[in-house]
Amino acid sequence: MLFAVLARKSFKRNLQYRMAHLLQNIGSLVFGFVYASIWAGIGAASPLGSYGPQGMVAYVAFNQSVLHIVLFLTNGLGLEQSVRTGHISLELMRPTPLFYQTVSREVGNIAYQALYKSVPLFIFYFLFFRLPLPSHPAVYGWTALSLLCSAYLAICLQYLIGIAALWTTESRWLFWVNYACHLLLSGFFIPLEWLPGWLRHVSAATPYPFIQYHTTRLFMGLEGPQPIIGSALWGALLTALCLGATRLARRKLEIQGG
Amino acid sequence: MISVTNISKTFRVPVPVEGRWAAARALFSRARTDKEAVRDISFTIERGEFVGYIGPNGAGKSTTIKMLTGILHPTRGEVRVAGLSPHKHRTDVARRIGAVFGQRSQLWWDLPVRDSYDILAAMYKVPDRDKRERLARLTELLELDEFLLTPVRKLSLGQRMRADLAAALLHAPDVLFLDEPTIGLDVVAKKRIRTFLQALNRDFGVTVLLTTHDMDDIEQLCRRVMVINRGELAYDGSIEALRERIGLPTTVKVTFGGSFSVPDRWEEPFRLAERGDDYVTLECNRSLISTMEVLRAAGAWGDIADVHMEEPDFEDIIHRIY
Amino acid sequence: MLRMYRMLVIASFRSRMQHPFNFVFGTLMAAVVNVVEFSLIAVVLSRFGSVQGWSTYEVAYLYGAILLSKTLYRTVASDVHHLEKYLVSGDLDQMLTRPVPVLLALMAQNVTIYVAEFLQSAVMLAISLSVLIGSGQTSWLAVPQTLFVVLCGAIICFAIGLATATAGFWITRIRELQVITEDSARFAAQYPLSLYPKWLRYVLCTAIPVGFANYIPSLYVVRGELGGWILAATALFTAGCLALSMRFWRFGLSRYQSAGS
Repeated sequence: MLFAVLARKSFKRNLQYRMAHLLQNIGSLVFGFVYASIWAGIGAASPLGSYGPQGMVAYVAFNQSVLHIVLFLTNGLGLEQSVRTGHISLELMRPTPLFYQTVSREVGNIAYQALYKSVPLFIFYFLFFRLPLPSHPAVYGWTALSLLCSAYLAICLQYLIGIAALWTTESRWLFWVNYACHLLLSGFFIPLEWLPGWLRHVSAATPYPFIQYHTTRLFMGLEGPQPIIGSALWGALLTALCLGATRLARRKLEIQGG
Repeated sequence: MISVTNISKTFRVPVPVEGRWAAARALFSRARTDKEAVRDISFTIERGEFVGYIGPNGAGKSTTIKMLTGILHPTRGEVRVAGLSPHKHRTDVARRIGAVFGQRSQLWWDLPVRDSYDILAAMYKVPDRDKRERLARLTELLELDEFLLTPVRKLSLGQRMRADLAAALLHAPDVLFLDEPTIGLDVVAKKRIRTFLQALNRDFGVTVLLTTHDMDDIEQLCRRVMVINRGELAYDGSIEALRERIGLPTTVKVTFGGSFSVPDRWEEPFRLAERGDDYVTLECNRSLISTMEVLRAAGAWGDIADVHMEEPDFEDIIHRIY
Repeated sequence: MLRMYRMLVIASFRSRMQHPFNFVFGTLMAAVVNVVEFSLIAVVLSRFGSVQGWSTYEVAYLYGAILLSKTLYRTVASDVHHLEKYLVSGDLDQMLTRPVPVLLALMAQNVTIYVAEFLQSAVMLAISLSVLIGSGQTSWLAVPQTLFVVLCGAIICFAIGLATATAGFWITRIRELQVITEDSARFAAQYPLSLYPKWLRYVLCTAIPVGFANYIPSLYVVRGELGGWILAATALFTAGCLALSMRFWRFGLSRYQSAGS
């Protein structure tokens, strides 16, 4: 099956660099540690709503761990580069849809990052902060499903960023805009209910809350699995957008040539 | 001008770790092994000499050049360039030498060629008047004026090499180190560079040390050749003596028009290197037999359709020295 | 020496301006990301008032000071941060054949003016100082003191960056190490060190001494703790860091095993 082959290949390609990645993890560890410490510091003087100081540390630690699954993907799924090199025409010519190819490739990448970055990070935080774990086994299943959806939404966003390179030649700015939006609107550091009102509305109109906020709250037992429906709807919408963009890209290339 | 006494260079390289968890253990492995890239080399080069320095890849050529130019420090032994040690007085020596590495440019990629000269002149503290004079002369000799105002990234390889040569000569160095200056150039561009280098050495007395893979460079430019092999100096003498020692190895590829048969033995001193479906490759030494004689002999094997002279294999030449 | 540096810097500017779009674009993106990053903490502080007794303006001071120091360092010593590139490509060899100190040549390569970072950090410092002076928490003296702190901070950032780069002479790949010693340490210094457990505080004041770049002197400058002697101590410490890292650099350079052929 092509999906498995592509995914396995990109997983393997990453394996060569795992020592370097292990070092990088130390850096990531410090970043999450700082974020958690800020909340712990604020928690010393404030009850921190429904989370509590310990809860906020757990919130940030989980969010920081899953960043490698939902944010740090390949820039534009490597499409920008293939537009620049003209490789894109070749990829569009192949009998498998471009979207399917690139998603498969990225899934391998994400699987690798989950195993070699997210899991070690979470284990460290778990031991260091003595994080509570969900007691109900179903929560693990729902969290896994929700994370899968989050990763899929993130892949779709990166796909749109990458394919935009066909029209703007330079799509790196979209990558940074996505990064900035993610930091602010996904609830990665600040639970959404504490954002100023207008930002909360902006956030609600985007898929970002489904990428981190709801998944994390689900894992912490603060809400049920219902938001996964929202994830799925956003997933369907973004998939449609991706396929539409691919069709436009194909037409553009057919008319103007690579 | 250059004196090298018993220099050696040893690199410490990590021992590759194998087996289970190799990557993890490699990170903590302290195991190092010594690799001797250059072993006990000595030579002297007088002012005004034009010396070729040749040897197979990995023989220690660039390591030697790097020690002469102060990039690397010898593990043992001593180097003197213009009486100074490039190790202890790197910047002083740098002012007396010029270097051109064929594979990479020392010019500012995005700036017009002329700007690079202004910067280099300031770096080497060349007085304005000297700079103008030398640049005018170099421009004339190397025909730089056609691209003096073009950004370096837009130059052709031949133009870039000329521009780089001028850059290395702007501060009127006593010694010029050239590493593969004709690599990748076409015949015309190569010829132009060689003519210039000849004039430079003859008319201005610049000492030149040249490494190259192109035997034609050596034959046309150098009066003296040094051969390095496996880190040791295998030959140091005149080009004529080298030729006597290794002869003139030549490889000829003969393609036959129809069927052909190779006899079991023949009288003439040449040997069969390779045999294909419709061709044979023959090796001979032109100091023993002329190519025509070889072809005459091969003509008896079948109808010759095409003849192609091939560049002799460099590694092979080195091995013949022993 | 300074003339040489200036000349090289101008050359790298002119190279950069051959691609003005990239320059403008890079500036804009840096602005967006940096502003969002600070707004994360600003949103939290505006909601909860303070973090362990540090007000929004005090945190903004820490944040602005370290950002300005880092920006100064990266502007003045541009490609020290990118030594890895030169080691891998072998371009360092080229520099070694010139009569200019390698460090100076590296510092003058590919110089960028980080407009966004300069503006942002200057604005942050200006706002936090004017509020803190206005409220009487500190006096006008804090302005020259801050300039001094930022200068020391830039030198400390430089020393850390140089020492990390020097490690490249042995291990070649330094990007990952930089994430630890430069990126994450500086990130930690954007907030009061008192938030962190003791061991991390020690690390940030000794092994990777970013604490001296902003937190420790600011205790005196904006909070009136400790005493004036801390500025002198910071200066002394900075000089020590610089001397150590320069010495390490020279040692590393002498161990350079040119890799490219």
